[in-house]
Parts: sequence; C-alpha cells; structure tokens
Amino acid sequence: MDDVREKLGRCFALAFPKLDPSQYATANAETVKEWDSIAQLTLLNLIAEEFEREIDLEEFEDATSFEALARALQVQ
Amino acid sequence: MRLSEALQVIGQAEGDAQRTVHLVCGFSPLHVETFLKAYLIQRSSGVRVNVATGLYGDLEGNLQRARETGGDGAIAVVEWSDLDSRLGLRASAGWRAETLNDILVQVDERRERLKDGLARLAAVMPVAVAGPALALPPLSILPPTQSGDFELHLNVAVTMLLQQVAQYPAITVLSSGSLSLLSPAESRHDVKMELHAGFPYTLKHAEVLAHQSVQCLFPLPPKKGLITDLDQTLWKGILGDVGTDAVSWSLEGKSQVHALYQQLLSSLAESGVLVAIASKNDPTLVEEALKRSDLLVEPSKIFPVEASWGPKSEAVSRILKVWNIGADSVVLVDDSPMELAEVGEQFPGLECLRFPSDDPAAVVALLGQIRERFGKKRVLEEDRIRLQSIRNTAERPAEIAGEPTADFLARLGAVMTLEAASSDARAFELVNKTNQFNLNGLRYTDAEWNAISQRPDGFLLTVAYEDRFGPLGRIAVLGGYYTKDTCHVDIWVMSCRAFSRQIEFQSIRQLFAKTGAPEIRFRFKATDRNGPLQSFFASFSHGVELKDGELRLGAEDFDRQCPQLFHKVNDKWMT
Repeated sequence: MDDVREKLGRCFALAFPKLDPSQYATANAETVKEWDSIAQLTLLNLIAEEFEREIDLEEFEDATSFEALARALQVQ
Repeated sequence: MRLSEALQVIGQAEGDAQRTVHLVCGFSPLHVETFLKAYLIQRSSGVRVNVATGLYGDLEGNLQRARETGGDGAIAVVEWSDLDSRLGLRASAGWRAETLNDILVQVDERRERLKDGLARLAAVMPVAVAGPALALPPLSILPPTQSGDFELHLNVAVTMLLQQVAQYPAITVLSSGSLSLLSPAESRHDVKMELHAGFPYTLKHAEVLAHQSVQCLFPLPPKKGLITDLDQTLWKGILGDVGTDAVSWSLEGKSQVHALYQQLLSSLAESGVLVAIASKNDPTLVEEALKRSDLLVEPSKIFPVEASWGPKSEAVSRILKVWNIGADSVVLVDDSPMELAEVGEQFPGLECLRFPSDDPAAVVALLGQIRERFGKKRVLEEDRIRLQSIRNTAERPAEIAGEPTADFLARLGAVMTLEAASSDARAFELVNKTNQFNLNGLRYTDAEWNAISQRPDGFLLTVAYEDRFGPLGRIAVLGGYYTKDTCHVDIWVMSCRAFSRQIEFQSIRQLFAKTGAPEIRFRFKATDRNGPLQSFFASFSHGVELKDGELRLGAEDFDRQCPQLFHKVNDKWMT
C-alpha cells in the first residue's frame, strides 16, 4: 500500500503542483479547486504511466480523492 | 516525451510568458495542449509560454478568435469532424445515403471557409496546419478495404485544402508521411477518450503531433554546409585500389544508394548549402575522378576539395576556414566511424553522420536525416550566389590574408546598397542565423519580426554588397528606432562572408549621416560567438571593457576612429 501511495503522490505532484504534499491524503475533487474533469483525465493518464498499466476511465470515474484512487489501485 | 515529463518541463519553466501560441482545434485540447506547451518551453530555452485554446466544436470560430487575439503563432489541427460533425464518432445523425451526399456538399463549403479562416489568421501570425489523422468511421456501404466515391471525395477535399493553404508564405503544413513514421495510423485513435471526453487521440499521437507542430512552426535554423567523404560514401569502391573508372554509383554497379546521395547533394547545393569534400586520397586521382561526366552532382558545386593523407580533422579545419562558418553549422558524412570520431573530437559542435554503404535502407533514412538538417521553405538570391562569392574570396588569398590594405580596398570597386527591409525574408533569415557579427544574439519569431518592422519610429534596413570579385547579395541588417536626438540600434548583424571589407564602418557612417543623430546607442550583449562584433566596438572603447547593456557611440568619436572608406554607397533607404 505504501508503494501505491508513494507512486500516487508522484502523480499528484505533477497534476496538482500547487498542492502541498502533506495535503495529498485528504485531497479530493471538492477541496482541491484545480481538480476538474480535465485534471482528472490528466491524473488518470499519469497514473497509467506511473503504474505502467491500462486505466479504465469509466471504472475510475468516481475515484475523485487520493484515498479512493489508492484503494482502487490497491484492489487491482 | 511522456506526459509526466511534459508536466515536469511545464512545472520547471521560468519567467513570465512572453510568447502566446494558439492551439486551434475543434476537439478538447487536453494532452495536445500539455505536450505543446512543454515543447514550446523547450524551444524557448525554458521560458514559460502561453498556449491559448478555443471552444469545443468550433474550429472556424477558434480561427477567428485567434486572429483577433493576436499571438506569436498558431497550430491548427483539422479533423474530419471539423469538416462535418457527422464524420465524428460523437454524432448521431444517421449514415443513410442521402446523409452522405449532404456531408459531401457541407464538406466542400466548410473547406472553403476553413481556407479563408486559415489565410486570414496567417496574415497576422505564422500557422502550422495538420490535416485529419484519424480514420473515417465506416459510413459508406463499401467494405473498409475499398475506397469509393464518398471517401475519395473527402480525401480530395482535404488535399485541396492543405495544398491551397500551403501556398501562403506564413503557413506550413505538417507532413502526413513524417507523422506516420512516429505515430502509425492504427495507434492514433483513443475511441473511449473521444466518446468520454471529446479528446480523440492516444497519448502517443498527441505527443508526436505536438512535437512536429512545434518543429513546423518554429523550425531550427538549417545547417549551412556539408562535408562529404568520397570512397564508400560519394561512390562505391576505394579509388586508390580500383581506379577512377571502377568506382560506381548505379543500379548496374549495385551502388544506387550512392547515386541517390549524389542527387541529394546536388539538390542541397542548388538550395544554397555549401558542399565540400574531405577525403584521404591521392589528390591527382580525386581530380581525375571528379572529371567523370556521369557524376550526378556537378563538381563545380563542390568547394573546396580537400584530398590528402593527413588527419581528416585538418582537412575539415581548412574547409571551415574557407567557408568562414562555425563547426556547429556543418555536417560531416563519412563511412568510417574512426574518421567521424577523430573529427568529432576536434570539433565537438560539428555533427558527424555515418554513411552506412552496406545497408540501403539505412542510407535512405540517412538521406531523410540530412534533408531535415538543411530543409528550408524558400531559396533566396543570396543562396544562389553564396558558393561563387566564397570561391571568389578564396581565389585571391594573397590579397585578403589578414586585414587587406587601404590600397587594396580602394581598388575593389565596392558598392554598398542600403534598402528598407520591412518585408524582406532575407533580413529575417540573416538576423535569426548570424552568430559572429551579431549585436546581441537575439532571435525573433515571425510575429515579433512583424512588430519590429512596423515600429512607428523604427527603421529596418538591409545592406547589399558588390565588388569587382562579384556580388555578395544582402549581407547585413540594421534595425532600431529614434528618440529625441538619439538613434537606438537593437538589431545589427552581418554575414561572416562580408568580413574584412569595412562594411561595418560604412554602415555606421551612413546611419550617422542619414539620421543626423549625434549619438547612436547600441543594445549590446556579449555572446559566446560574437567576438568579431566585440572587436568592432573595442576599437571605440578606449580600452574600457565592454559590458552588456547600452553602448554609446558619438558621431565625433566615430569619425576620429573610423578608417578611410572607399565604398560607393547606393542609398535606396532614405531617398
């Protein structure tokens, strides 16, 4: 799980460069104003690159928080 | 470049965005925008760039908005759905026969409007245009292995659009062939992404499209000279072993790749590229071989020919001296990795390319690489006379060795012609490629150049030169503006071919005379390469070290230090 979070953190650093890393764990689409639908797509593509795997956009459509993304990635 | 790398480049960009480039498309710009920004930042040496986008599904409107907003350039990406939305996957108007007929009518109308929109945009900024990259949906009743009237009509419409807009000087069209090499047709379309977010491309295609668009919009300055080896490069065979009649470049001799290479060299020479030979060979044999009437590159287009048994780097050094250009503007082509390494060590900036004579496919790829290094959109008069003027200079070595004497200069019959340069492509080219005699090393985009040429209190002029040894063409550019009693010069470049003729002194004398200014202020910046320009100013600095910023030169001081000048001045600038 730590490995997933570390990699996910790297994706967040690129997708949300203004966000302090200490806020990643609680970050979600409602609290991060830059997190719109475009940012979500960018984030999912970064995750695909970082985790070297295909990401199903629809499957991850509702994963709009750091925790939800980490859980979804952990499950898979 | 991966998406994460692109975002890193964007995150590390510095300074305020000084350039705006429009991404004009009808789809969601998404990753094309990201990659475009990253490549533009790299091209701008790490400085932030603003990428402006438009509205979804409104390519025509976006063209107009880009024109009204203004900027430094635009990249227009035309997809099938921009010609008619029914050609995209997000439309639901049906694929009946009458619908297809109506699509063709609409496409022809839209093509005309897009052509006009692109032409109007190109009137205010340079534009790179990419045609449809995706496959059409299976709308017609034909099996996909066949092309019928519907598909062929659409292809003709797109080809006509691209062919028509390519005629405009400020428009470049991306090569579909070049795009296919790095982004094969079958791996471009991200159907799920198109349906989900209106972005139709895979990450890979977005990256390649952005990269090639930037290369089209802001091409790197082409290289100036090519030095070629002979044996196993210009021809097949070792001249010293087989003799002049047995070296070959033909289908019959199983050496056609050398014929292709010779044809490319001939074409390059015609476009103003300097071509020379550096070969470890017997000079007499080489001279004899170059007399063969079946050579596909005229020997008169090759100068100088350096054939000797010394180190190749020494031959290259002599060639560079005759050409009077820097090693980083030159490419060496040779079949020997050892020779390439030896030259590369002596001239780290010189690009060394191996001629793989035993691999025809690799040779064809090499020809493409060479064309890429020397590609240009137009051939100017200066390109045509460059080789002859270098030849003329080289053929009077005794008189021009070092600084020529006043007596020699007086007998040159030199004529300098000053002319306004507002829409002169040669002036733009000179400013963007000259290194050695360059006031500050600044480079300009088309839009910046247009703005400079329209400064209300500004001036921009070219200097052409001719003497009894022949014309050099337009070899210098001066630009600046006036304020009260002062003339400011922020652009001053002169081709290295024009050194040692006191053209720089006469140029400044004319500037003082024509403007009547008691003082000229130069926007100077020392660069790694502008030593000759610094030497000019050093003669007026009274031993004071030159510093970046504003250099002041008074008319009286200039007159005291200026050598005797002998040019006849033909003034077409202020008459």
